Amino acid sequence: MTISTIVLLVIVAAVGLWAVSIFNGLVRLRNRYKNAFAQIEVQLKRRYDLIPNLVETAKAYMKHEAETLEAVIAARNAAAKGLSSVAADPSNAGAIAELAGAEGALTGAMGKFSMVMEAYPDLKANQNMMQLSEELTSTENKVAFSRQAFNDQVMAYNTFKQAFPAVIMAAMFGHGQDATLLEFEDSAQIQAAPKVSF
Amino acid sequence: MNFFQSQDAARHNTTKLVIFFILAVVSMIILANLLVMFVFGYIDSQTETPQPFNWDVFMTVGVGVLALVTMGSLYRIITLSGGGARIAELMNGKLIVNDSGDADQQRILNVVEEMAIAAGVPVPPVYLLDEMAINAFAAGYSPSDAVIGVTRGAIKQLSRDELQGVIAHEFSHILNGDMRLNIRLIGILHGILLLGLVGYSILRLSPRSRNSKGSGGVMFLGLGLVVIGYAGTFFGNLIKAAVSRQREYLADAAAVQFTRNPEGIGGALIRIGAGEKGAILDNPNSAEISHAFFCQGIASSFGSVFATHPPLDQRIGRILPTWDGKFIARPHVAQAPTVTSGSKASQNKKKMAMMAAGAAVLSKDELLRHIGNPGPAHLGYAKQLIMDLPTDIKRAAHDPHGARALVYCLVLDSKVDERQKQLHYLKTAADVGVYAEVIKLAQGVLKLNIEQRLPLVDIALGTLRQLSLPQYQVFKKNLTGLIQADGKINLFEWSLQKIVFHHLNGIFDKKAKGQNKEPSLKRTKEASTILLSFLVSALKQNGVSRQEAFAAAQQEMAWLKTELLERDTFNLDELDSALDDLAGLKPRFKSILLKGCAAIVSADQNVSIAEIELLRAIADTLDCPMPPLIS
Repeated sequence: MTISTIVLLVIVAAVGLWAVSIFNGLVRLRNRYKNAFAQIEVQLKRRYDLIPNLVETAKAYMKHEAETLEAVIAARNAAAKGLSSVAADPSNAGAIAELAGAEGALTGAMGKFSMVMEAYPDLKANQNMMQLSEELTSTENKVAFSRQAFNDQVMAYNTFKQAFPAVIMAAMFGHGQDATLLEFEDSAQIQAAPKVSF
Repeated sequence: MNFFQSQDAARHNTTKLVIFFILAVVSMIILANLLVMFVFGYIDSQTETPQPFNWDVFMTVGVGVLALVTMGSLYRIITLSGGGARIAELMNGKLIVNDSGDADQQRILNVVEEMAIAAGVPVPPVYLLDEMAINAFAAGYSPSDAVIGVTRGAIKQLSRDELQGVIAHEFSHILNGDMRLNIRLIGILHGILLLGLVGYSILRLSPRSRNSKGSGGVMFLGLGLVVIGYAGTFFGNLIKAAVSRQREYLADAAAVQFTRNPEGIGGALIRIGAGEKGAILDNPNSAEISHAFFCQGIASSFGSVFATHPPLDQRIGRILPTWDGKFIARPHVAQAPTVTSGSKASQNKKKMAMMAAGAAVLSKDELLRHIGNPGPAHLGYAKQLIMDLPTDIKRAAHDPHGARALVYCLVLDSKVDERQKQLHYLKTAADVGVYAEVIKLAQGVLKLNIEQRLPLVDIALGTLRQLSLPQYQVFKKNLTGLIQADGKINLFEWSLQKIVFHHLNGIFDKKAKGQNKEPSLKRTKEASTILLSFLVSALKQNGVSRQEAFAAAQQEMAWLKTELLERDTFNLDELDSALDDLAGLKPRFKSILLKGCAAIVSADQNVSIAEIELLRAIADTLDCPMPPLIS
C-alpha cells in the first residue's frame, strides 16, 4: 500500500507538472510570435508613411495620371487599416488574410505606378523621388525579413502545438486554432517591389 | 562592495540556501516518516500488533519525498532558466520596438540603452506589461539573456529621471547576479510547495466513506503532507523574503550611486506610494516572480514578514534622508531637466571627446574598479556617445535587418583588396537586401571612432535577439565566413566574433547554455597561460619586453608559475576554449585573472583605446561587464 501509493503520487505529480509545462509552453510561444509581429508593424507603418510622400512628389509631374495615383492612395489606406487590425491581435486569421490581400493590392498599384512613371524622365531624375524610392526599397527588404522572423515563430508555435504531447491538450487550453502565416500574395514580387527602375 | 564581492555574495547566498534546503528536505523526510508511522500505527492499533521500526518503509518514504521535491525544484528551475524573455513572455509582456512612434515607449528604450552602454552590457530588450500600477522587473540568468519589464503605468506616470532611477535599480540586479539567485530561490520553494500540493490533492481525492478505516488514514496522510509542505513553504518564504529585502536595499543604493540622483529613484518610490494602484499587479503570475520586481508587486496577507521588498517609507528614508514622510507626488518637471542636460551635454562634449581619445595613463586597479559598477560619468558618456552616432547607423542597429548588416560592416577590412574579397563572399552568401544594406552602411562604419564600435555592438546585440532561429543560423554562418574570407583574423574581428557569439549562443543554442562549469586548477593554469600569452603577443608594449609584460601579470597571479607561450604554439580555437573554460571561474578568481590581464595592458604605463577595447572584450566574455573607459 505505502509503496504503491507513493509511486502513484509521484506519477500524478509528474503528470501535473508536465501538463503545466505544456500550458506554459503554449502561452510562451504564442506571445513570442505576437511579439515578432511588432517589427513588421513598424516597417509596414514606415512604408505606408512613405507612400503618400511619394505620391505627393509625383503629383507635380503626373498631371494626367490622377487615377493611378488615387489607386495607390486607396490601396495604401486599405492596407494601413488591415495592419491596425492585425496589430491589435496577430492571432486573428481573418485579419491576417485581409492584410495579405490589401498588401497584394498595394503592390499591384505600386507596380502600375512605376510603369507609368517610365514615361516621365524628369520625375525619375528628381532627387527627392530617388531618395524616397530608395528608402522604400530598403523598407521592403526589412518587411520581408521581419515577416520571415514572424513566420518562423508562427511555425515554431504550430509545430509545438501539433506535436505529440501538446496535441492532446492544446485545444483544452484554448489553443485550438493554428496561427496563420503572413504570406503576401506574390512574395517574390514584394522582394523586388516597388521596382522604381532608374 | 565591488562587483566581484557582490557576485560572490550572491553565490554565497545560494550556497546558504542550498544548505537550508537540504536541512528542510531532511526534516521533511523525517516528519513524513513519523507521519506514515503514526498513520499506519493508528491503523494497526486496531489489530493490536506492535510495529517494529521498518527501514524499508523509511527508505520508501524518504525516496518518495526526495523525488517529489527535486522534481518540483528542477522543473521550476528549468522553466525559469530559459532566459529572461521566457519570463517576460509568461507575464504576457509585449516587446517594445524602436521607432514605434509612441513617445513614452521610445523614452524608456532610450533610458535602458544609455544605462546598458554605460554598464558595458548588451542592451536588454524591454517588455511592456499592460498594467496601470507602477512597477518594473529584470529577469534572466546573465547579462546576455537579461530582459527588462516595465508596466504601462510606470512609463506613463514617471518622469525621465524617475524612470532612470528605476531602471538603474533593475540594472543593479542584473549586474550583481541577483537574477540567478532569484531563479534558484523560486525553484527550491516550488519543490517544497509541491509536497503540500500533493497532500492537498490526496485530501481532495480520498474516498469519503466513513466506515472505511483505511480512508481515515489516507486523509490523515494528506493532511499531514499539507501541514509539512505548507510549513516548509512558510519558512522558505521567510528566507526568500529576508534575502530579497537585503538585495533590494543594495540595489537602491547602487541606483543612487549609478545615477547620483537620489531624487530620481526616491521620486519614483514616492509616486508609487501616492498612486491609487501603487505597485500592485493584476497578473496572477506575478506572485511567483514577486521578488524580481522593483517594488512589492503582490498584496501580502501576512504583512511585512513575507514582504519580498522593504516597506516603501523605509526605502525612501534611506535614499532621501530629508523626506517628510508624506506620499505627495511632486509635479513633473520632466521637460526642464532634459533641456538642461542637453545643453550641459554639449558643454561636456569636448571634454568627453578628450577623455576618450587621449591615451590614458592608468593603473591596473583603476582599469578594473568600474567593472559592474558604473557611475554617473559613464551614464553621461553613454548618452553623449549615443547622441554622436550617425543617424543611419543608429537606425540600422535598431532594426533586425540593419543590425546584421552593421555587424558584417564592422568586420570589413580597411584595406581595399581584402575588403573586396569579403564583399565578394557576402554577395554570394547573404541575400540581396543584406548586401545592399552593407554597401550603404560600409562607408559610415569605417569612419566610426574605435570607442564607438563596442557600444554599437551592444545595441545591435539587443536587436539581434529578435531574429528567429533559422535567421540566426544564417547570420552566424555568414559572420564566420566573412571573418575568414580574407584568410586572416585580426584582433578586433576576433573579439567581435567572441562577444557576438558569447551573448547570442546563450539565447539561440539551447545546448551551449549553462555549461560553464568551474575548471580544475590544472586547466585554470593552462587556460590562463594561453590567455595571457595571447595578450602579450597581441599587444605591443613600448619599451617593455614580452617576458617582462608576462612577469607583470604573474605578479598579480602568484599561483601561475608557468612560462610564456610563443604565439605559434597555440591557435585561436584553443584560445576560444580557454576563455570559455575561464568563464566558469568563481568571481573572485576572475577578478585576479583580469588584474593579470590589466597588468599586461598597462605594462608600459600607457593604455591605448585598442588595448582597452580588447580588455573589455575579454572581460565581457568572462561575464564581467566593463564600462567604457573614462578618466
